[in-house]
Amino acid sequence: MSDLHRKWYPIASSSDLPKRHVYQAQLLGREFAVWRADDGYVNVWENRCLHRGVRLSIGINNGSDLKCQYHGWRYANRTAGCTYIPAHPADAPARTICNNTYPAQEAHGLVWAGEQASGDLPPLDGFEAATVLRPVPVLAPMEMVVEALLAYGWDDSCSGRANADGSVTVTAADGAEVRLFVQPMDSNRSAIRGVSNQPVKGADRIRLLKRHSWLMQELRSQIEACASSQEAPPPYQPVIARVSEDLVDIPAIGTEMRKAELRVQVAGKEMTAEGIVSLRLEPVKGSLPTFQPGAHIDVHLPNGLVRQYSITNGPGETDHYRIGVKREPNSKGGSAAIHDAVKAGDVLAISAPRNNFPLRRNAEHTIFVAGGIGVTPLISMARALNAQGLSFEFHYFVQSDDHVAFKPQIGEYEQALILHKALTPEATGARLTEILAEPGFARHVYICGPGPMLEAARAIAAEQGWSDETVHFEYFANTAEVDDSTAFEVDLARSAMTLKVPAGKTILEVLRENGIDMPSSCEQGACGTCRCGVIEGAVKHQDVYLSDAEKAEGKSIMTCVSRAVSDRLILDI
Amino acid sequence: MLKLYDYELSGNCYKLRLLLSFLGVQYRSELIDFYPGNQHKSPDFRQINPLGQLPVIDDNGLVLRDAQAILVYLASKYDPSNRWYPRESPELLGQISQWLAFADAITATASAARLHDGLFYSEIDVEAARAGAHRLFRVLDEHLFFAEEEGQDWICPGEHPTIADIACFPYTVLSEEGGISRIDYPAIRRWSDRFKRIPGFVVMSGVFPAGPAATDRRQAVA
Repeated sequence: MSDLHRKWYPIASSSDLPKRHVYQAQLLGREFAVWRADDGYVNVWENRCLHRGVRLSIGINNGSDLKCQYHGWRYANRTAGCTYIPAHPADAPARTICNNTYPAQEAHGLVWAGEQASGDLPPLDGFEAATVLRPVPVLAPMEMVVEALLAYGWDDSCSGRANADGSVTVTAADGAEVRLFVQPMDSNRSAIRGVSNQPVKGADRIRLLKRHSWLMQELRSQIEACASSQEAPPPYQPVIARVSEDLVDIPAIGTEMRKAELRVQVAGKEMTAEGIVSLRLEPVKGSLPTFQPGAHIDVHLPNGLVRQYSITNGPGETDHYRIGVKREPNSKGGSAAIHDAVKAGDVLAISAPRNNFPLRRNAEHTIFVAGGIGVTPLISMARALNAQGLSFEFHYFVQSDDHVAFKPQIGEYEQALILHKALTPEATGARLTEILAEPGFARHVYICGPGPMLEAARAIAAEQGWSDETVHFEYFANTAEVDDSTAFEVDLARSAMTLKVPAGKTILEVLRENGIDMPSSCEQGACGTCRCGVIEGAVKHQDVYLSDAEKAEGKSIMTCVSRAVSDRLILDI
Repeated sequence: MLKLYDYELSGNCYKLRLLLSFLGVQYRSELIDFYPGNQHKSPDFRQINPLGQLPVIDDNGLVLRDAQAILVYLASKYDPSNRWYPRESPELLGQISQWLAFADAITATASAARLHDGLFYSEIDVEAARAGAHRLFRVLDEHLFFAEEEGQDWICPGEHPTIADIACFPYTVLSEEGGISRIDYPAIRRWSDRFKRIPGFVVMSGVFPAGPAATDRRQAVA
């Protein structure tokens, strides 16, 4: 990396980035796809899809994510994390699939970037109300352009001087001043980007812009004539970083338990409904990892408890996570701690988001069935489908109007929202029977809510002909009694180890004691994080995560609660 | 029914497919094997167009060649709204004709470079063709930049696009296939997005669709 790579350069005018457009830029040979999200954030990314290398500058800016033209991979605003891969079997790409992003700032009507830029932008005193000139690309090396710009002027009184930051200032006797920056697109290609200190409007503005556009193009002809008489320097050879090592390496043996690698600050805490508090969590430093609709995070509470909460964010809302927490009357201390002890400004430790409740986006129609606080993961899903213009309906079962949470968020898809208020369990069953009347073709249903409602909905769906693959559900908790009285052996096929699991211990605990790093989250068989493949042996399933078909198939096990029926299990780990 | 002598990879034929789609006019494509068959130079086809070039239309016996001429004819005949080719405005007609000629110059340069790179027209001086296209694109980019400054979306003034936009669009957006990058022409790239959002827009090989525009126009400019 040279000093050039550590500098800030203007790479676009702010007006080059209208919403829903992708701008193509280049700096020191490296191409960028530059796009403004609907929330105003300016993304400067490697101009290359991670999948097949196609330029993202021909992609589609959806306002919250950028979609590659070739195979439709989607990358999130801010994080550049991949949020969707069409036809991916799990419909949930690994969170670690992330494009390269570069530092960017917007100031004085210009967008500034640099491969490894840091520190302050060049000071632009006197240009607070500046007019950004039309940029002029020049086929010549940066140094040659800077040299020529010293002679730039619009009347006889103009004089130019070189600044320490590499720019040129041209001043006229009447105080009119132009600051000219040269963007080194490649070794033999540059762009002149100027700002004038004249805050002009209307016809005067166009006259000023045209005058400078003309003068710069006249100067360009001279520079290019000079440059073409010299041998062109070899083009820069930017290196596109390979996938990071930790993605391709086998992870080292670790003994960590549940990870809480992120620190977030509670930036807002407010009641969103009767008994439900909404928390806005912002990163203490850096940015938050990409989430997918349906994902949850572990929140490590001051009292030592760890709880899982779904992210309610819409696509592209990547500068914070918003979660909802219901005060449980029989709280063991989790929800009470959040309601009573956590204050705005507090710092909490959380895990990176995990998605064990992925959303398919190839359904003809999607039905969401939310009960109470079970609405949270479904809000994020519905917002994603709504942003994509896909067909869905959103059924939200609540006790009363006061219990309707996240009204601004669900208001985004008002047209698809159907509230069902104050229904008895019998009436709820009857309503679910109507909602789930037609399995139809390529229709999917997602259910999240209290256990009894979930059981009822799953049973009704099955009765009415919905196949197991089309019914997706997430339990908050596993309320079943877990039997851990058996003892058995587990063979770890990949790790080449045989371990004994005694009565009173879970497979997960035994794995960790022996240095096998298995992720986990709820540790009660509800969230699906500690799922492991089963190669051989019969499983006694005690979780509520796997579907009945998956349980019958016996190819997976939740290592936090489930055990062996046989003497031995061979696990794919 | 209107007959279009058509070739899938021809930008000039695409101009007509675009206008016919914008206007909702039914037509039938008579496919001519331009490459590798060289059918446009065959005796049969030269009896339809002695220049041996595509596109040609046959509208109830009226046989017309030249993409720009056919755009004028189709817009005059089939656009009751009179917006694609506003016949009563001499000022606009003059400007449209100027840009139709400019579109021909784009064909002579950017399309030539594309034929060289993509369809093995090795006799073409590709460096001269590319340099010529860049000269034109510099002019078009500046024109579109100042059109935007004046609150205009299209090549000719007015609320609605004209056949000048259609004539300039195909070989401009296909230029990368001839090794002509548009990275230096941000105003052309923005105009391409707007063009792709015209209701009735259709793609051809090498032309990609745009996503929907920001819903509120005032919000579109940040």
